[in-house]
Amino acid sequence: MSKSAPVRTPTDLTSSVAGGIGASPQRPDGNLKVRGEFAYASDLWHEDMIWGATLRSPHPYARIRSIDITEALKVPGVYAVLTHSDVPGKNLYGLEHPDQPVLAVDVVRYQGEPVALVGADHPETARRAMERIAVDYEVLEPVVDMEDAAHGRGTPLHPGGNLVRHVPIRHGDQQVTAEVVVTGEYEVGMQDQAFLGPESGLAVPGEDGGIDLYVATQWLHVDQKQVAQALGLPLDKVRLTLSGVGGAFGGREDLSMQVHASLLALHTGKPVKMVYNRLESFYGHVHRHPAKLYYEHGADRDGRLVYVKCRIYLDGGAYASSTPAVVANAATLGVGPYDVPNATVDCWGVYTNNPPCGAMRGFGAVQAGFAYESQMDKLAAAVGLDPVEVRIRNAMHEGSLMPTGQVVDSAAPVAELLRRVKDKPLPPVNRTEPVDIREMPGGASNTTHGEGVVRGIGYAVGIKNVCFSEGYDDFSTARVRVQVIGGELSALAHTAACEVGQGLVTIMQQIVRTELGVERVTIAPMDTTIGNGGSTSASRQTYVTGGAVRSACQTVRGRLFELAARKLGVDAVGLSLHGGKLVSDLHGVLADLVDVLGDDVVDETVEWRHRATESLDPVTGQGNAHVQYGFAAHRAVVDVDVELGLVKVVELDCAQDVGKALNPEAVLGQIQGGSAQGLGLAVMEEIQTSGGKIRNPSFTDYLIPTVLDMPPMSIDVLELADPHAPYGIRGVGEPPTISSTPAIVAAIRAATGLALTRAPVRPEHITGT
Amino acid sequence: MKNFEYARANNPADAVRLVGDRPGATFIAGGTDLLNLMKDGAQTHDRIVDVNGLALTDISHGNGFLRVGALARMADVGAHRAVREKFPVVSQALLASASPQVRNMASIGGNLLQRTRCGYFRDTGSACNKRIPGSGCPAIDGENRGHAVLGVSDHCIAAHPSDLAVSLIAVDAVVLTNGPHGERRIPFGDFHLAPGDTPERENVLTHGELIVGLELPLTPAAAKSQYLKLRDRATFEFAVVSVAAALDLRGRTVNDVRLAFGGIATKPWRSTDAEAVLRGRALDTATIDAAGRAAVHGAIPRAHNAFKIDLVQRALSRVLHELGGVR
Repeated sequence: MSKSAPVRTPTDLTSSVAGGIGASPQRPDGNLKVRGEFAYASDLWHEDMIWGATLRSPHPYARIRSIDITEALKVPGVYAVLTHSDVPGKNLYGLEHPDQPVLAVDVVRYQGEPVALVGADHPETARRAMERIAVDYEVLEPVVDMEDAAHGRGTPLHPGGNLVRHVPIRHGDQQVTAEVVVTGEYEVGMQDQAFLGPESGLAVPGEDGGIDLYVATQWLHVDQKQVAQALGLPLDKVRLTLSGVGGAFGGREDLSMQVHASLLALHTGKPVKMVYNRLESFYGHVHRHPAKLYYEHGADRDGRLVYVKCRIYLDGGAYASSTPAVVANAATLGVGPYDVPNATVDCWGVYTNNPPCGAMRGFGAVQAGFAYESQMDKLAAAVGLDPVEVRIRNAMHEGSLMPTGQVVDSAAPVAELLRRVKDKPLPPVNRTEPVDIREMPGGASNTTHGEGVVRGIGYAVGIKNVCFSEGYDDFSTARVRVQVIGGELSALAHTAACEVGQGLVTIMQQIVRTELGVERVTIAPMDTTIGNGGSTSASRQTYVTGGAVRSACQTVRGRLFELAARKLGVDAVGLSLHGGKLVSDLHGVLADLVDVLGDDVVDETVEWRHRATESLDPVTGQGNAHVQYGFAAHRAVVDVDVELGLVKVVELDCAQDVGKALNPEAVLGQIQGGSAQGLGLAVMEEIQTSGGKIRNPSFTDYLIPTVLDMPPMSIDVLELADPHAPYGIRGVGEPPTISSTPAIVAAIRAATGLALTRAPVRPEHITGT
Repeated sequence: MKNFEYARANNPADAVRLVGDRPGATFIAGGTDLLNLMKDGAQTHDRIVDVNGLALTDISHGNGFLRVGALARMADVGAHRAVREKFPVVSQALLASASPQVRNMASIGGNLLQRTRCGYFRDTGSACNKRIPGSGCPAIDGENRGHAVLGVSDHCIAAHPSDLAVSLIAVDAVVLTNGPHGERRIPFGDFHLAPGDTPERENVLTHGELIVGLELPLTPAAAKSQYLKLRDRATFEFAVVSVAAALDLRGRTVNDVRLAFGGIATKPWRSTDAEAVLRGRALDTATIDAAGRAAVHGAIPRAHNAFKIDLVQRALSRVLHELGGVR
């Protein structure tokens, strides 16, 4: 349980309760996290617990001839060694297609695929036992080319071949031509979510033969369903509670250790803890799909788009994960936030023997965004227009038509966002002595003192869908309870929606305070004793779980008014709640809610849905597939040492429409964090693979931006309410991740005059050597 | 990680004996690289001898030398006034290394024994001639952006990762050791070994031989020296390429010069050929370019690291122009 302490609410009625929506109250978990006292999943502990460990395939593709666990079982301190034959239920799971074995049977399809499990009295005992498991592999030639995989070339890795999904979109005239045509081929490397808290959890066997699983995840109920199927247990025997989550960014949407720890716990009758180390974490979660993208933009001489044609390939790696939905996003958002009268889009997601890829912040929109924004710059150059001007001429607006035929039916201030970042003052060019070398390309390396440094400015804008799409029944469940505890009015909010660091717990408190006028709001542990809260992804929790909490509050409020009407003999109409008091429109303050409630408890649970979406037509890609669209624009200012190929991002400014900022500080945090992740993809972050193997599975070799790499930001937050969304909000988390990468690369292009068609940009791309 | 025994040494002789007695034993100081190697399974030991208690942390100068104890921490050496004034290249190389936390822990002696970041070497699922002699080198035809173009062999192209070592070879440091066969003075240029056909051997130390210190001769060139490091992130990252240069000019003429390179070679790479191009000549753009060409003579590019051959010449040009005040 956690509770926050906002400033005390004044008792007069002119002020509303403190810490409500629109304010930025302190996070309930903030102090603990800053002090290092917050309990993450890796801190879980249980009397008598043993440790689980996972034996993984060293090969990206191999046939398993045999697995011999005899010697491993002889290691003192080992409780169990399990293989696929010990999986009691279905040995296949997956977010969208169950195609991934809990433990490999006769084939492994990626380096790091789980083959066997050990439960032991100590992690080191488990490790020694794993070394004694003899797996006889017949190593096979891995499939690593995504285009071959899309078009039926190469070994099929799954029964249905290597194509996971193809989404075509046919919009307008397919034969149209244009006066000005620009083409480009682009590549985006494989990015990692790089969350700091590794995968971890604790599985405790229940007396009923079930399992209690404490885990860091993004979606409790989808875990529950997959774990139950694998264990062959009914849902009510698989109970999950969210443990402290150290970041997610999409990487916890798929299962990692959930089934494994549960299997070991049920097999040994002991609580089992599993914690991945950093190396294992790189193998233990999905990454962002690397992409190859081919684009052709046709426009008139004024730079107005006539058509866009594109082919997008996304490498999903060994298993499907959320590849089908990522493909749909890349396709439907593939032309960007522009009015495009005619579009021909094809997007393929494929199986290879590369590391599995799935959800990561931006989810398909990032890869497409890098390509279409690079193309808009090319178009600007081709027609002799400023890059911002060409974007504004084509900018989507409310009422615009997506290539799917869907009408954008709420604010789409694309032009305004671009104007805002363009109108911001530019940072000064500091070439006077003394120069702080940390402000120079090369960072603290004493590389340059300003000579030979060229400044460049780049712009980009992006579009992201918010909430789940394509007809998915996307909802959240919230329970709100109001009662008097120790003489004080108190509310409890309970959902299964995962707090992964983004601040949902704060938002829930704010909503309850605003809706019920109750200051003290406790957030119950997130678990599966309540209905589905949906995934913490697609920028959806404030929208959907926020909507559910608000709806539950409204139901509770109605009940409180009924209670008041009965107890006080007043009409239930015209009542409201302010600062813990029951107020009548006609008679002012009627009573303290504490007195109205007495020993009564009001406790209501609701399910709340956003408006329904439709599936995409499989041939034309037409359909109202998305709930809401979010937009952000960036301006990047970079200094490039063109001689040595080094880049310093000097400033990264952003304008984003958030509909309504429920927590303005949290909104800024999301925009800064998303922009930093985009900066990482622009200039350093990439999981390097060769022959299907990861070459840099550590934070020593996989680089994420440090505080010296991330520049100051000037941020404009627009609040143009979406009438369809609770409080008018628009999902915040993902849009800033989309436009920051292409803005930075555009700025490097402006400084160097180079084409730079691949992200991340490296020194050798700039020096051309 | 395999089980191992831990012992603490009270004096150098003790340390030498505790390691020398046992083929699988090794010294541990800061442990910033060793522990990762052991966790990754890239290196295994059955005994760890902790030398942190030895009195080898002094930094002093006199009689034409700077002496640095092997257990002085990177942060302390990098910030030391005499090092900053007399050997700026060493101070800069240290402060451009790793992170403040690592520099606070890591010892000078340990840094010289730092091992490569080659992804195949660190991955026990891959073949690697350095880890398992004779198993092959997948880097030669694989992912090799981070790998060496100089000092390579058919058996290994792993780049040496140390910044400090590159600066030390440029100032003619001497490695002082104490081993089962007594004390030795090893000129820095003789300390590290190119892989040849024994890539598992990275230096000339014998088993049980402990680095106890470094001796750096004070020279006019060392006092006018610079380290330049190019990397993929502003801080906390290894060099893509690096240059250590020490330069003594008489007017415009090069009286003495030392040039060494990191990120491009299998060991800290001194180029006496490039130095010879400059020595006795006027320092100008033409001679600098000629020195750059001499420095990379014989370089062998692979699929992903060919860019380094040009990039390191650019880096050398930058540093010599700056050091020499050449416009």
